[in-house]
Amino acid sequence: MFKKDSVVTKKPVFKKKKRWTADAIYSHISYLTMVLPGAIWLLLFAYLPMPGIIMAFKDYRLQRPPADFWIQNSFIYSLIKSPWVGLENFRYLILPTNLRNTVIFVRNTVLYNLLFMVVGLVLSIALAVVIYELTNRFWAKLYHSIFFLPFFISWVVVAYVVYAMANHAGIINTFLTSMGMAPLEIYKQKAYWPFIFLIANIWKYTGNGSIIYLALITGVDRQLYEAAAMDGASKWKQFVYITLPELIPTIVLLQILAVGRIFVSDFDMFYTLPAGSVFIREVTTTIDVYVFNMLRSTSPIGYAAAAGFVQSVVGFVLILVANTVVRKTKPEMALF
Amino acid sequence: MKLQYRKAKQARDMLAISPTTNRVLNVLMVVLCLLTLAPFYVIIIASVTSEAALIENGYRLWPEEFSLNAYTYLFRPGSIILTAYVNTIISTVAGTILTVVMVALYAYPLSRRRFRFSGFFTFYAFFTMLFGGGLVAYYMVMRQILQIQNTMWALFLPSAFSPFWVFVMRTYYKTQIPEEIIESARIDGASEWRTLTQIVMPLSVPGLATVALFSAIGIWNNFFNVLLLIDKVELYNLQYTIYSTLNNIRFLLENASQMQGVVSLAELPTQTFRMAMAVVTIGPIVLAYPFFQRYFIRGLTIGAIKG
Repeated sequence: MFKKDSVVTKKPVFKKKKRWTADAIYSHISYLTMVLPGAIWLLLFAYLPMPGIIMAFKDYRLQRPPADFWIQNSFIYSLIKSPWVGLENFRYLILPTNLRNTVIFVRNTVLYNLLFMVVGLVLSIALAVVIYELTNRFWAKLYHSIFFLPFFISWVVVAYVVYAMANHAGIINTFLTSMGMAPLEIYKQKAYWPFIFLIANIWKYTGNGSIIYLALITGVDRQLYEAAAMDGASKWKQFVYITLPELIPTIVLLQILAVGRIFVSDFDMFYTLPAGSVFIREVTTTIDVYVFNMLRSTSPIGYAAAAGFVQSVVGFVLILVANTVVRKTKPEMALF
Repeated sequence: MKLQYRKAKQARDMLAISPTTNRVLNVLMVVLCLLTLAPFYVIIIASVTSEAALIENGYRLWPEEFSLNAYTYLFRPGSIILTAYVNTIISTVAGTILTVVMVALYAYPLSRRRFRFSGFFTFYAFFTMLFGGGLVAYYMVMRQILQIQNTMWALFLPSAFSPFWVFVMRTYYKTQIPEEIIESARIDGASEWRTLTQIVMPLSVPGLATVALFSAIGIWNNFFNVLLLIDKVELYNLQYTIYSTLNNIRFLLENASQMQGVVSLAELPTQTFRMAMAVVTIGPIVLAYPFFQRYFIRGLTIGAIKG
């Protein structure tokens, strides 16, 4: 197509200011009606909670709105009328009595996320490469389907499996006692849990994570490999110099998104797998679990909101920073 | 999916790994597959073993005494599992249809260059992927403003749309639906709605099936929103029902010594019964997999690669 069309229709007058004119809306009415249901959903379930973030700076108390108030909703009224307390709620999180807990929960969240990010990335790519290299396609396909299967299983069911294996009369202990060894109290020992989470995470997500890498590897031009093989490059060299560069844009993209979620943990996993055991709290509580527990407790809601605020805002800032860094070095790989 | 594997086949001769490496990798894959399947095997076998044999011999690779008692007990009339099943199925079906429709509709205009507000609505959806109000605000809005707690809506409405899948579908439309088809439909006088529903959507089945599958998994496995928003037993879904069962049992077992006389351990749901609960929870969603499989890897990979 020639550029002529766009030159004729796009006069500078039209460009920004007059986008939402009645005319424009009328001529795009069918597109707008298509977007409408999703837009309403986003408004209700994503945008409506956003102003609530100011609860982190307020001493939120539930109050009943007087009859003549413009909106008869006690949450909105209380949100507006509750007094501002500045950083008071944040101070609670770093009080000498709470500081240790706060540090532990943040540490758990960040370290588990980094661990899952790195291990997940390496294993997903490794699996994709192996599936791709196998010469018997039927089996390769079958393996991949099997590895994908755990993605269907909820963390609650995984918690059942872990419990069946790890409780004091479970499979592991039945086996150990039959061998004449002392049973393990897995639900009371902290040391086991990072491994349990890691294994559960690998089990559930590796098959799913490898799909995209498999597709990318399949898309690589075969002639590159053939040329490299003729020059005597080993499989490993081919991977490093041909495959990996093809994967990097996607890896970077996914990691930028992952960095933004570094303070967000897989709540279902951390909440259900320990089955509420208090002995291992130090290694199983993450920020999400902490916020949820505070929400359910009698402590002022502002404290939970403050912890949640850190989660949202720091995540948002990190994603902007990560994206800016990427855009400065490799503009084509940036997310936005 | 087929295309990927076939392409690989063509280049096999020259670049293939050596037969020995292939054999080693196959053995490795088989071992890993067996490990991946082991948890499924454990719970399925335990669920069809008779309770007495399980207590006496512990978990075995093959049931000593085969029994389906746990399942007949599970599906007795009036069982909470039946209610939970109905709730889960209704919410999964409703939620999946809603998600597919809303995502398909939202993504289509964004894929069209003629849509002047495309930039605005792209940002409108994208921003929610980067920033959120946090759990506390979400909880308050759901309970105090939208007031969907303790209704069927809470089981699927909060997860009935997803900006991520919007962008996957937008890429799918852009790369898979030839511009000429849409233009010719327009010239023939089809409205935008008609073009979408009668031409574009039938051509996008792999993409839409992928959205449907992932959304169905998400809603079937929905645990968090039930934990947050449902207090009534008759509205529990499967995941929450089995979660509360496990929690109660663990609590009772740990405190059994203090609670003697209050509750008899013999009355607790038995081990086989619990395993049967886990099996019926994962059953249908795993059975759905083969029906979607022919579409979904293609749908996912085409849509998710930055195009």
